[in-house]
Amino acid sequence: MPKELRATAAWRISIWTTLAFALGTAVAFSIVYFLVAQGLRERSDTWLTGEAETLAQVSADTPSDHLYKRIVREVAELATQEVPDERNARGERLNSVFFLATDPNNSESPLWVGPSSEDAFVTAIRRSKLVPGAPKSIAVDGLRETFRVVVKAQNGRTVYLGLSDRGATRMLHRLAGRFLMVWGGMFVLGFLISYWSARRTLLRVERITETVARIGTEDLEERLPEPVNSDEISRLAKTFNRMLDRLQSSVNQLRTVTGAVAHDLKSPVTLIRGTLESALCDEGNEKWRDSVGEAIEGLDRLSQLLNTTLDLAEAEAGALHLDRRPVDFSDVVRQLVDIYQPAMAERQHELTANLEEHVVVDADVTLLNRAVSNLLENELTHLPAGCRVEIRLHSRQGSAEMVIQDNGPGFPPDIVSGAFKRFVKGEHSPGHGLGLAFVDAVAQGHGGVARISGHAGSGAVITLSLPVHVLQAVAT
Amino acid sequence: MDWREVPMRLLLVEDDVSIQQFLKRALVEAGYLVDAASTAKAGEAMALEGIHDAFIIDLGLPDLDGLDLIARCRAQGSSAPVLILSARRSVDERVKGLEQGGDDYLTKPFALPELLARLRNLIRRSAVPQNESMRLQAADLQLDLVRREARRGEQLLQLTPQEFALLEYLCRNEGRVVTRTMILDHVWRMRIDPATNVVDVHIYRLRSKVDHDTPRPLIHTIRGVGYVLKYA
Repeated sequence: MPKELRATAAWRISIWTTLAFALGTAVAFSIVYFLVAQGLRERSDTWLTGEAETLAQVSADTPSDHLYKRIVREVAELATQEVPDERNARGERLNSVFFLATDPNNSESPLWVGPSSEDAFVTAIRRSKLVPGAPKSIAVDGLRETFRVVVKAQNGRTVYLGLSDRGATRMLHRLAGRFLMVWGGMFVLGFLISYWSARRTLLRVERITETVARIGTEDLEERLPEPVNSDEISRLAKTFNRMLDRLQSSVNQLRTVTGAVAHDLKSPVTLIRGTLESALCDEGNEKWRDSVGEAIEGLDRLSQLLNTTLDLAEAEAGALHLDRRPVDFSDVVRQLVDIYQPAMAERQHELTANLEEHVVVDADVTLLNRAVSNLLENELTHLPAGCRVEIRLHSRQGSAEMVIQDNGPGFPPDIVSGAFKRFVKGEHSPGHGLGLAFVDAVAQGHGGVARISGHAGSGAVITLSLPVHVLQAVAT
Repeated sequence: MDWREVPMRLLLVEDDVSIQQFLKRALVEAGYLVDAASTAKAGEAMALEGIHDAFIIDLGLPDLDGLDLIARCRAQGSSAPVLILSARRSVDERVKGLEQGGDDYLTKPFALPELLARLRNLIRRSAVPQNESMRLQAADLQLDLVRREARRGEQLLQLTPQEFALLEYLCRNEGRVVTRTMILDHVWRMRIDPATNVVDVHIYRLRSKVDHDTPRPLIHTIRGVGYVLKYA
């Protein structure tokens, strides 16, 4: 049994319904079985009682002469003929009935009509302490079936009449056998039908899930097909569509707002920057040059912060425009390592890269560049001088995993859980706390994940995993 | 250079009057003839005269989106390259689309040297390609682009491939300021915006080799803007 099948809701639903169905039918059958068994017993008891009375009468009325035994025996044998199924398919007598008449006043041997193993019956009867008038089942040594026995006492003579339960047992066995056959059939058929219908229904849910997952990462324009009928699943699709409408409108609103904020804030910054730059180019104001340069650098930091904040706002709302193409992740990391290597060396850090070749991801190259460069910036800003930083990249089970690890002081314990949140940063961190939040948002936008591990004091480990490009995923 | 002799004519469409003025001044100083418009409507009318070598268009115009303005100009047969000025960020999909269409964009706020560099690139791209030289020379610095060798005077400089690429880029822009963003973009093909001094460290290292033991340094820092290669 494939594991995926067992994990489906359709499988569980059909198992439970089939079990409930099987249990219900089993209970219903038990009741029927019990009623039939009772009916059969009543029928045999009525026959036994009636016949025993007749035989007792005959036995009482017949004088105890030398003919007594012959007369009573014949009457008893006649009675046994009335029993159905007395002869089997080959015509042999099955001895379903026995008859025993005793006379306590008479020492002669009792009168016995029935199977040849008389002694076994007599022992069984003695053992079971029969009360006149109440039929009782007794087990006879050497025989499988029990015998139903009724006692009648008249004129000092006691008459025992026994009827084998074989007929009733056979009938009940046949009934149970048939039921088991039908029950098994119903079990299999019921399971198949409920599995089929549950699967059919849940496949519609599955399609909704797939569509919504695709909409979530790619395009908010798409909608689920809304079927004409209005069952629960159609209502689910409709509800999702309404939700997507709202989501789309708030994303659009956010884009409008971030656009407007960017425009309104950046126009003055552009103007100030341009003016300062023109002032810088003027010859003759040497003594202002450093101050003006510093002001420009400050403005650049401001607009950088502004950009990152706006990007992050969009990224966290899933409103980033992703221009996804196959990108050689290995190349991106190698280039960035090249760029950061000298700055790392200047702080006596040892930066090593261990990159698997040609790990291709479906990514927006601008965002990927910035995410990886944010991670390197992070190392550069937070590590005390003279640390080791290692970047590893490899593809594993359909995902490209980049690990950046250092042997610095690690993340302060109070920010580990929230390091990917906006503005969460260490107490003494010089950054603004947006870098890692942006990395996380980019990872999520690409259907990947960013993780932090490592404890305070043992270095920081950040893992960025992204799904690899489809063709490469197939090839490996 | 020939574009200095026959001045290029630019169309600048920017609704913010102050920005428009300072841009116009900077462009005129750089040797361009500039027509400026504050609205898309006026800009479109000017563009259709067909006398401009390039357009500089701001995306946030009051009457029409800058992208629509470009589309309308294109539809009416105007083929001049466009440099987009955008307050939107580099992650904007529509702006990226433009970059692939052969035009270019610059996000606000920008450094003037970068604006001028992108403009030069655009105009050069649309003009007849020049003969690529095998050598570059700036003062007593010589670069052999085939053998990837650099000499300062008689001295052969021991440069890594990266340092050579960086020096080549500075050399090609001799006398012009290049920003850190431009360096990252041209030498490493990366449009990133590091907050740390990664580019500066590359320059320091290069400078220690190029301007080592010389009374006349070539590589200069322009605080707040970037770097320039020139004889002071």
